[in-house]
Amino acid sequence: MVNAASAAGATDAGTGPAAVSVRGLTKRYGDVVACSAVDLELRRGEIHGVLGENGAGKSTLMKVLIGLVQPDAGTIHVDGEQVRVDSPARAGALGIGMVHQHFSLVDELRVWENVVLGERERLDPKHARDLVATIGERYGLAVDPDTRVGDLTAGLRQRVEIIKCLRRDPSIVIFDEPTSVLTPQESEQLFAVLRVAVEREGKAVALVSHKLDEIRRATDTVTILRRGAVVDHGPTDRFDQQSLAQAMVGRAVSLRGDDAAALGVTDAVEDEARHAHERSGASEAAVVLRIEGAVLDRYGHRVLDGVDLEVRAGEIVGVAGVEGNGQVELADVLSSLVALDAGTVVVDGETVPTGRAGAMGAARVGMIPEDRHDAGCVLDMSVAENLALGRVGVGSALRRIDRGSDEAAAIDLIERFEIRCSGPDAPFHSLSGGNQQRVVLARELSGDPKVLVAAQPTRGLDVGAIEFMGAQLRATADAGVGILLISSELEEILHLADRILVMHAGRIVGAMAIEDADVERIGLMMGGVVDAPPPRPRPTGTGEERNG
Amino acid sequence: MADVRNRPGLLTGRLASTDTGVTLAAYAVSLIAALALSAVLVSATGGSAGAVLDALLDGSLRSPGAWGLTLTTAAPLLLVATGTIVATRAGLVNIGQEGQVLIGAAFSGYAAVRVGGPGWVVVSATLLFGAVGGGAWAGIAAGLRAWRKVPEVLTTLLLTFVSFPLLTYGLSQSWLLADRDTERQNQLNTGEIIPGDARLPDLRLFGNAIDSGFLVAAGLAAILTLAMARTLLGTRVDMLGFNPRAAQRFGVAAGPLSAAVLVGSGATAGMAGAVLLSGGAAGDRLVFGFAGNFGWDGLLVALLARNRILVALPVALVFATLRTGSSFLAATGVDRKVTDVVQALLVLALLVPPALLFVRDRRRALRSTGPSTAPSTNPTPEAA
Repeated sequence: MVNAASAAGATDAGTGPAAVSVRGLTKRYGDVVACSAVDLELRRGEIHGVLGENGAGKSTLMKVLIGLVQPDAGTIHVDGEQVRVDSPARAGALGIGMVHQHFSLVDELRVWENVVLGERERLDPKHARDLVATIGERYGLAVDPDTRVGDLTAGLRQRVEIIKCLRRDPSIVIFDEPTSVLTPQESEQLFAVLRVAVEREGKAVALVSHKLDEIRRATDTVTILRRGAVVDHGPTDRFDQQSLAQAMVGRAVSLRGDDAAALGVTDAVEDEARHAHERSGASEAAVVLRIEGAVLDRYGHRVLDGVDLEVRAGEIVGVAGVEGNGQVELADVLSSLVALDAGTVVVDGETVPTGRAGAMGAARVGMIPEDRHDAGCVLDMSVAENLALGRVGVGSALRRIDRGSDEAAAIDLIERFEIRCSGPDAPFHSLSGGNQQRVVLARELSGDPKVLVAAQPTRGLDVGAIEFMGAQLRATADAGVGILLISSELEEILHLADRILVMHAGRIVGAMAIEDADVERIGLMMGGVVDAPPPRPRPTGTGEERNG
Repeated sequence: MADVRNRPGLLTGRLASTDTGVTLAAYAVSLIAALALSAVLVSATGGSAGAVLDALLDGSLRSPGAWGLTLTTAAPLLLVATGTIVATRAGLVNIGQEGQVLIGAAFSGYAAVRVGGPGWVVVSATLLFGAVGGGAWAGIAAGLRAWRKVPEVLTTLLLTFVSFPLLTYGLSQSWLLADRDTERQNQLNTGEIIPGDARLPDLRLFGNAIDSGFLVAAGLAAILTLAMARTLLGTRVDMLGFNPRAAQRFGVAAGPLSAAVLVGSGATAGMAGAVLLSGGAAGDRLVFGFAGNFGWDGLLVALLARNRILVALPVALVFATLRTGSSFLAATGVDRKVTDVVQALLVLALLVPPALLFVRDRRRALRSTGPSTAPSTNPTPEAA
């Protein structure tokens, strides 16, 4: 059915020549079908949205186009000719370029050096600088060619990445989840750049995203993937939010609450956040986590620059911010992984020594880490052992392990948190990502925490798992635990938090109650524009007053 | 990539592979290949493979008192391997056992001739001094690691080469290790003969003299096996080896534990040196080159046992068999060095299958982690 529909679309369209045409593309990883008979048509002069949940097969499809992955079946035509894209170099020769989700820039090098990095021709700094300037002018991507990339904001770094991609003048450009590192304002600017690329330069652009709003705002046509297959495609204005969401998730969705947050429908979440908000009432509760003047230097950079924050029992405090502004380090400090250079962490009235092994855990600070494989689990141990990690560091080393009780506890948690695994003895690495995350959640919640830190807790999860996580976090807060939610997904914070802090360059640059939430203002703060119109000015002006 | 990153490598990891059929077949094929190659080698050097096998078995098992000597020889190998396995599981790479054995033997040699008292006191002091010597020698590496982050793989190895001249110096000084009896022949640069009552007693079974050092080694192996499997110590050591950052987060500080484990593995190697000296597997006195590759071989035993102490016991016995059997080879006209080649071939034969399986599992893991949320490594399906 899908094939018939797309074949019809291919013959009659006539809006322009098909720049890329993918037919029947299939890719399997072991038993998992990442892409199943996928058709995709990118046309010049058009922004084509590729919408799908995490794991729907978007990335695999794009990796095939760029030559990083070889398909098991299917054909690719570029400008009407069948081609084999067997390497990224070949893709480049065919005029296909990609701006990756994660940056591939060298921090220590200047902008122009990064742009020409990897080119075979003779190095000509003047030419390279001109190139940066020309491309910047053509697309509205102004950036100083002589700045060190490490000193740029995430938004500017992405510009460099885009310039690097465009310098080969590809006729087909793929953007893979480009807005995940951008503030809302920077995203708007990016969409304007895409518009220039298709309208003035006649390129074909593919925009890969899992956010409904982005697809609706920025694209002309859309292909929706679910579980590796195309479920629908057509001009974007043929769809409304509801039908897009339904196609993407495969069931009716409410576009309110959990669903809206998971699908990236910003307006709905913001609206809900401002109105109908009676979650809080925690303002009188005791402070369970207080961080004062936290300073941390890493590799010669000040990554935490005097962080002050408080979390009260029973409230969810959201830390918004573009990635790379100190969130990872803040979470590391609260995991006892690094010691602060200055400042204190006080949990429930007790100062906790930072950097001492297990101290945060002993003070009952739970942690749902951003990268669970980093310090959140031991892949080569069993599920039961991973659920019992909190007890390993406590007590004498010669104490006997009570495998029976560990196992009983594990079976209980596996049932309560609906962890799908072959049993408590299953090796942790045999679990799927979502179930691994549940093990981590189960362990941290079963430790009866006073504070729970959730760092990007829903990254890489599908909509169902995101809802599960949201419900768990809220239930945990209702049970009186103070939650620090660190996330770069603004919708997630708007949806879950009672109070919002904005982090930029290692500092908390703004704070607001959820009732006053304003995406525009948060976005500006995330970009470093500190407190545009502050409702309550911070008491910092004493020096000036004296001078005046 | 997720599942491959942050997983132990070939030497420290346990095989993820669950298909025992393939695993056993791989081992069988590679062992047969190694034995066939050995036979070809023996024939090429003018011997007969059958005669060589006969001689090996005579020397190690069949002739009177032979298997007692084989068990005696296995003791230091097992001791070295046991400590090495614990260190490897903690993520440490101690490859300086040869030096630790030597220093342990030197310490125990000193105690054996200087400590007075009844035999059991002297013997206990000998073992204790051996452990202290080996532990102190590994302790230098542990200290440098804790203090300056110097990789222990370098320091342990290099310290081995420091230990050789150090022993030579000790053997030249009569206030240290040199023979104080200047009357005797050939006493230059040798240690004193260990007196009878300072030796580990032998157990006599069916006409075989088994050194009680073997019981020490087997006992220690049993205790450490239990400790690793049943106590928090074992979990902490494994956790440190598998994921040191998770260990730090859950209250297992890497510094003190890895230092303790490194010193402990040096102590077992040092005790192996003491057993070697007072058990009689390597002569009755300290001489230059006393450790006789027992450290290196013990390291190989640990490597082949793939981090399981119980597996180290049979592997140590095989190595001991080759050692004792080789002494009977002279009669066959084949150079006894051929057993070194056979041993090397066996080591390779036992290392190749896990390496191949490791590469295969890794490839599978890499292939199946393409989609970010796909269930990445379901218990691997049958055969490639």
